[in-house]
Amino acid sequence: MSEKMIKRLLVAAGIAFMLVFCLTPFIYMIVVSVSVNPSFLSDSVDFAATLANYRDVLTVKSLRFLDYLKNSIAIGTAVALITGAIAALSAYAVSRIEFRGRVWVPLAVLAFSMFPQISVVGYLYKIMRAAGLINTYPALILPYIAWTVPLAFWILLSYMMQIPRDFDDAAFVDGAGRFTIFRKIIVPVAVPGIISAMLLVFIAAFNEFLFALMLTSDHSARTIPVGIALFEGLHGEVPWGYIMAASAIATLPLVVMSLYFQKFVIQDVTRGALKG
Amino acid sequence: MGLGSRKTDRRTAYLFILPLAAFIVIFIVVPVIGTFWTSLFREVTYLETAFNFLGNYRRLAADVNFWQSMRFTLLFVAVCIPVELVLGMVFALILNEKLPGRGVLRAAVLVPWAIPTIVAARTWELIYNYSYGLANYLLALLHIAPEPVNWLGTPLSAFSALVVADVWKTTPFVTIILLAGLQTIPEQIYEQAKVDGTVFYQRFFKITLPILRPVIAVALIFRTIDTIRILDLIYVVTDGGPGGSTTSLSLYGYKFFNEGDFGYGSAIAVVVFVMAFLLSITYLRVGGFKGAVE
Repeated sequence: MSEKMIKRLLVAAGIAFMLVFCLTPFIYMIVVSVSVNPSFLSDSVDFAATLANYRDVLTVKSLRFLDYLKNSIAIGTAVALITGAIAALSAYAVSRIEFRGRVWVPLAVLAFSMFPQISVVGYLYKIMRAAGLINTYPALILPYIAWTVPLAFWILLSYMMQIPRDFDDAAFVDGAGRFTIFRKIIVPVAVPGIISAMLLVFIAAFNEFLFALMLTSDHSARTIPVGIALFEGLHGEVPWGYIMAASAIATLPLVVMSLYFQKFVIQDVTRGALKG
Repeated sequence: MGLGSRKTDRRTAYLFILPLAAFIVIFIVVPVIGTFWTSLFREVTYLETAFNFLGNYRRLAADVNFWQSMRFTLLFVAVCIPVELVLGMVFALILNEKLPGRGVLRAAVLVPWAIPTIVAARTWELIYNYSYGLANYLLALLHIAPEPVNWLGTPLSAFSALVVADVWKTTPFVTIILLAGLQTIPEQIYEQAKVDGTVFYQRFFKITLPILRPVIAVALIFRTIDTIRILDLIYVVTDGGPGGSTTSLSLYGYKFFNEGDFGYGSAIAVVVFVMAFLLSITYLRVGGFKGAVE
C-alpha cells in the first residue's frame, strides 16, 4: 500500500471516531428529551416519541425552568454589556496611551483570571451576605463582571493593537479629547471585536456554576446551570426527560451561536490563550 | 504623539482603567486575601469565631479525606491532560487537512465545547446509568461486557467515567489551540521534506512537533490550571463518591463552605489557590505574554 493510501485510511478512521465521539452524547441528550420514557434502552421498554417534556418544562410553573431561563438571560446580558464597556475602555488606554505600568496591566489581568473560583467563593458569600445581596441579581452580576473582564480585555486589546494609530492622531489634531476619540472613532471600528468579546462573556456568565450555587437560594435569582444540576421531579424520581429537554433548550442557542460565530470565536479564544 | 499634555493623558489612562481595576480588586483580590485571613480562624456558623493561627492547616495535614482528595485531583490531572493533548492533536491534524466539508467537521468538534458544563455533566450521568444508560447499552450491544457495569459504584470505574466525560468536554479547546498553531506552519517546509523522501509520520515528529512545542506547552499548562480546580462536572456526575473517592480539592472545600465551616473550607481553598498560582506563573513565563503589548 502506498503512503498516500495509508494516510487516507488513517484520516478517514480518525474522522469517523471524531464524529462519533463528539456528537454521540449530544444526540443522546436530544433523543432522551423527546422520548416518553428515558429508560427506552433497557429491554423491557420501547422508544416512543413525544414533545411533552418540552411542553411541561416550558409551561409547568412549579418546575421553575422559565424563571431560571429568565434569570440567566438577564444576568448574562447585564454582564456582557457592562464587561464589554469596561474592557473596551481599558483596552483602549493600554493600546494607545503611554503610562507607567502599561506593560504590566495585561499580565496582571491575565494572572487574576487564573485564580481558582473556590479561593474566592467563601469570602464572596460573606461579602454578599453582609451586603444583604444573597439570592439577588447583583450577587452574581458583580463577581461575573470581574471574572469575565480579563477575557474580554485580552480580545479587545489585541483587536485595538491592530487599528492604525493614524486614526486617532488625525482626530487629536482636530482637538478631540480621548473619550471622544474612543467613542466616535475606535468603538465603531472595533465593533466586530466587541461583539465577539461580549458573546464569549455572555456564554461564560450563562454557564457559570459555583458562584450561582453558593450565592443564590431559590428561583428568584437561580440560574440555569444550578437549576439543571438540582432539578428534581415532582415525585422524587430523577426526571430525565425534563432535565434533557431543559438542557436542550439551554444548549441549542449556545451551540447555534458558537457555530455561527465559529470563525470569530476560534480566532478570539486562541488570541486570548496565545499572544497576539 | 498627540497634542494633549502628557500628564493629563496619563491621568486619562488611569481613569479608563479604573473600572476594570476596581472590579478585579473588589471581587477577586479582596476575596482571595479574605480567604487567606479566614483560614487562620475557627469560623463556623452559630459558633463563636476564634483566632486559630495555623490550626486549620494542622488539621489538614492530619485529615485522611483531604489527602484522598489531593491524590484524586493530582491523579485526575495526570490521566486527563495527556489523553486530551494526544486526542486534541489527532483532531487538530485531521482538521488541518484539506478536506471537503472541513467546516462541518470543525463545527462538530466544537459541539462539546459549546455545551454548558453542567448540561454535559447531567448527560454523562445518564449515560452511566446502571439499568438504562447508553454506556451499558453499547457494551451489551457490542458484546464487550457480559454484565452491565456499575459505573458510578466503584472507585476505579467512577474515576474512569469522569475521565471520559472530562476528556469529551475539554478536548475541543485543546484542538482549537493546536489547530491555530498548525496553521502557522508554512506549507513549503513540508513540501521540501517530501522532496527529501520522508514519510508522513516522520514529518510529524521531525517538523510539526518541534515547531508546535510552545503552543503545546501553553495548552498543557492552561488545561492543568483548569483541571486542578475542577468542581462542576464531579459535583453532578458522582458528587465525590463512591465513598469520597472522586472528591476533588475544590469540591472538598465547597462541602465545608456549604456546611458553614468557613475556616477549614478556606484553608482547603488556600491550598488550591497556591497550586494554581504556581502553575499560572509558569504559564505566564512560557507564554511570553509580555511581548504582546510591547
